[in-house]
Amino acid sequence: MSGERRISRRELLKKAGAGAAAVGAAGAGAPFAFAGPHKYTGRWLSGNLSAITWVHFVPSYDAWLDPWAKQWGEANDVQVNIEHINNTLLDTRAAAEVSAQQGHDLFFNLHPMAIYEDQVIDHKPIVQEVARTQGAYMPIAQASTYNRKTKKYFAVSDSYVPDPVVWRYDLWTGVGAEPNTWENVLKAAPKLKKIGHPIGIGQSQELDSNMALYAFLMCFGSFLQDEHNRPSLDTKNTVRAVNFMAQMYRVGEDPAIFAWNPASNNQYLYSGTASLILNAISATRTPEQLHLPFSDSLYIWPIPAGPHGRLGLEHLMGCWNIWKFSQNKENAMKFLVDLLKAGKQATIQSQLYNFPTFAKTFPFEQIRQLAAKDPNKPHGKYTVLTTIAERYTHNIGFPGTMNPAMDEVFSTFLIPQMFAQVSQGKMSAAQSVASIKSQVNAIYKKWEARGAV
Amino acid sequence: MAAVAASGGSRLGRLRYVTERRGFLATLLISPAVLFIAALVGVPLVLAIYLSFTDATAGSLSGRWVGLGNFRADLHNPIFRGALWHTFLFTVISQAVVIVCAGLLAHALVRSFRGRWLLRFLILLPWAAPIALTAIGFLWFYDPSSSIFNWFLVHLHIVSAHGVPNWLGTPRAAMSSIITVQAWRTIPFATVIFLAGISSIPQEVDDAAAMDGATGFKKFWYVSLPLQLPIAIVAVLFGIIFTATDIVVPYILTNGGPFNSTQVLTTWAFQTGINAGNLGEGASIALFMLPLLAFVTVGMLVFARRAEVT
Amino acid sequence: MSLQWRHRLFSYGVVVPFAIVLAFPFVWMAVTSLKPQNEVFDPAHTWSFHPTLASWGFLFHHTAYVQWLENSCFVGVTVVIITLAIAMPAGYALARLAGRVGRSLGVAIFLTYLVPPTLLFLPLSRVVAQYLHLSDRLWALIVVYPSFTIPFAVWLLMGFFKSIPQELEDAALIDGCSRFGALVRIVFPISMPGILTVVIFTFSLVINEFLYAITFISSSTNRTLTVGVPTDLIRGDLFNWPGIMAAILIPSIPLALVYNAFLNRFIAGFTGGAFR
Repeated sequence: MSGERRISRRELLKKAGAGAAAVGAAGAGAPFAFAGPHKYTGRWLSGNLSAITWVHFVPSYDAWLDPWAKQWGEANDVQVNIEHINNTLLDTRAAAEVSAQQGHDLFFNLHPMAIYEDQVIDHKPIVQEVARTQGAYMPIAQASTYNRKTKKYFAVSDSYVPDPVVWRYDLWTGVGAEPNTWENVLKAAPKLKKIGHPIGIGQSQELDSNMALYAFLMCFGSFLQDEHNRPSLDTKNTVRAVNFMAQMYRVGEDPAIFAWNPASNNQYLYSGTASLILNAISATRTPEQLHLPFSDSLYIWPIPAGPHGRLGLEHLMGCWNIWKFSQNKENAMKFLVDLLKAGKQATIQSQLYNFPTFAKTFPFEQIRQLAAKDPNKPHGKYTVLTTIAERYTHNIGFPGTMNPAMDEVFSTFLIPQMFAQVSQGKMSAAQSVASIKSQVNAIYKKWEARGAV
Repeated sequence: MAAVAASGGSRLGRLRYVTERRGFLATLLISPAVLFIAALVGVPLVLAIYLSFTDATAGSLSGRWVGLGNFRADLHNPIFRGALWHTFLFTVISQAVVIVCAGLLAHALVRSFRGRWLLRFLILLPWAAPIALTAIGFLWFYDPSSSIFNWFLVHLHIVSAHGVPNWLGTPRAAMSSIITVQAWRTIPFATVIFLAGISSIPQEVDDAAAMDGATGFKKFWYVSLPLQLPIAIVAVLFGIIFTATDIVVPYILTNGGPFNSTQVLTTWAFQTGINAGNLGEGASIALFMLPLLAFVTVGMLVFARRAEVT
Repeated sequence: MSLQWRHRLFSYGVVVPFAIVLAFPFVWMAVTSLKPQNEVFDPAHTWSFHPTLASWGFLFHHTAYVQWLENSCFVGVTVVIITLAIAMPAGYALARLAGRVGRSLGVAIFLTYLVPPTLLFLPLSRVVAQYLHLSDRLWALIVVYPSFTIPFAVWLLMGFFKSIPQELEDAALIDGCSRFGALVRIVFPISMPGILTVVIFTFSLVINEFLYAITFISSSTNRTLTVGVPTDLIRGDLFNWPGIMAAILIPSIPLALVYNAFLNRFIAGFTGGAFR
């Protein structure tokens, strides 16, 4: 093999060191270098399957998934390769794979990728097969992965993550309040800021802010689209919501919230400063893991209620899709079906982070029983997750469904922008809402012209 | 010369004759480079230009022809206009800072003194470190709760604990943060280039200037600067090009925020084209700067050549 | 004596503050990298010193960090070699042989820098996957990176070769050398500083690259430094700051030492440079 190469091994050795040369030669020459040790333990497997997914926030999930996939592979005579990359890089990889028309057979992302509908197969067979034994595909998943217009399942969701509010019980009882409604939060916020523990709801160009502010809008009766997927931002309610949040910021929050990335609100909590954040339970699991002094005072509640009610979003929607250009569609479909059937284990191994998307996989009652046994104090705090999942969790685009226009509004962070420019006093709420509304309308018009909405 | 070589007469001699011909040899030597660049830059560029005139999406990769529609939509979009302005600010201010600092540093580093090796090492560090990683590091240095800069500001009693700047969260501060990081990592690079320029001034010029009594600033302005101008211009040009087309610093530090106040053309093109899937529009945004930058480049290179003092 | 004093004052007075400002982030990186995980997020413990090598150990034993370093080195070195192999002849040709056309071509080559990679990576991924069949291989990067290192190298070497006096080559030719022989035997040895300059700049461009590395490489063992660190040391919600800081320090210090060591020859490389 070294004869084919222009570079003599000695030059490489001199310059890059023996280690690099050896590994480099192996990496470049051997066509299956990335397959790792799988090839050399056990027997040669005839089929192939490659998948890419995120690095799960809860490490125990990945510690379960990878061996599970390996065992599945050996049982089905398929060489399975799962890659994990940082979730922020998934969009880029998807675009590159589509452009190259080559890549992984199975692609996972934390939001349903509606724009790639034409590049993926129809996932109906998978949904139907799993529904036979696992109960109905839940409405929240259906609304996120099914295109009513083309009648196509452009992805299959294997999990969603309920989005609670995580708050410091010790600090809130100190000021004699609890985050039951947004009114209460507004009243308590200045008192909490005074004792040096402001609340923290991001208004940045990132995922957590997007989720929190969308849900906030819904609590105030403001919905980005109606059930027919037409833009329907109600001016009065939206202005009210924006003003409310701006006031809450002024009296009870720290300017840091405009600079956040998805990890920031967590870090704000872990530093002991934040008294309330909106985040999935990774925000409580990490303090438990690090034995932070206040981890027993971290409570989990559903999102506070607003004038329109108590409506929340899923924090993340785990969606798998199979590219049309995949050479291993059969294997991919079978893998997904089996993975979905293993949803109960997935929920347990992710420490209740992932919630299953089929009704009978792990019924809420059973999840509640498991949550009640969670050893962390206060005992039973995780049981509220099932309540949140059952009653207060909706899909992005509620009451409509996920589509490319919604995706673009989401990906360009128009909603955090709408809030932030008012909170920072750059313009009035009416101006901000009007400007964003016209941008949203333009986006929807664009995608409607393409026939995608 | 050709005649001498051609007198061989044998086939080898004929070959030699051919390779001695300037034109042929030149073409032969240049062609690998040209082919490489044509294939890996030219072809994708043509494709990108094509995309910018269509409504292609990331999901379909080909779209209908819309002519200048994307460009017109860009100009109507307030976020894009903001990105254009921010790119200008980001590039010009960071490079102005770099030129001044690097110029000073280069002059100070020319003569040797005790400890120069160590100090030079420290100065080279920002350039040696991979920028994608140091930008992530700066996220921590600017962190609202744990910023080390804020720690100093508070403990030196320059600001109160509640008045610390929100480095990445308010428009002005965020803009100055990304400008600072970009300047921080470019200064070593520019310093080295300027050092080269200063070293290239022949000793005789130096001595002549000293004899004429020109010292200090006068010497700098009338003697050193004109001689260094070609190199200085090239350093400035590289700095401008690399800054205007670079995505790493704004993307990692602020991702265009807060509310698009640090959005530059590269990050906005990325968000529109890749995250939102609007490929045609993303292409048009990325290509917007191309004519302007080309104009600036050619202009500066021509100026540099004219300014050469032989 | 007074003049020397003034010079020294100027030198120290400028260089020391700059060195402090430019290098301080690295000092803070070192401090952070030694912090135990449960103290990192606590502002009260900003300077508390309970140093631990836990994060360094994590970096080496629980991530593929060494692999990433090797990959980055391998890619860097190979790209440098390819760049030199292609850019040296081209630079020479443009400097000596092509006259006016050469200058224009030189500028045209430089203009390729104006195209942002944020856009190029999509069509390039198609080229790499479909036509070159190099998906997820380090060779994809090795093939693509010269596209932005060669223009710079050509341009630099072009200027450098121009500064070498024509007489040296002419003398060799009169002595019976072929043009090619003159190139190899006379010109290249003299242009060592220029070549060194190209090596250092090319390597630094490669190490810094981020977007193509993410696009073309996905498997953990093939990752380079810039992809591996965000992936394995940032777990979504949780940044492993001590680990990240250690990961930055490890390549930076040796690289800075190398650059520093070659700085003098390096400067001579520019001195010859495009500016005559």
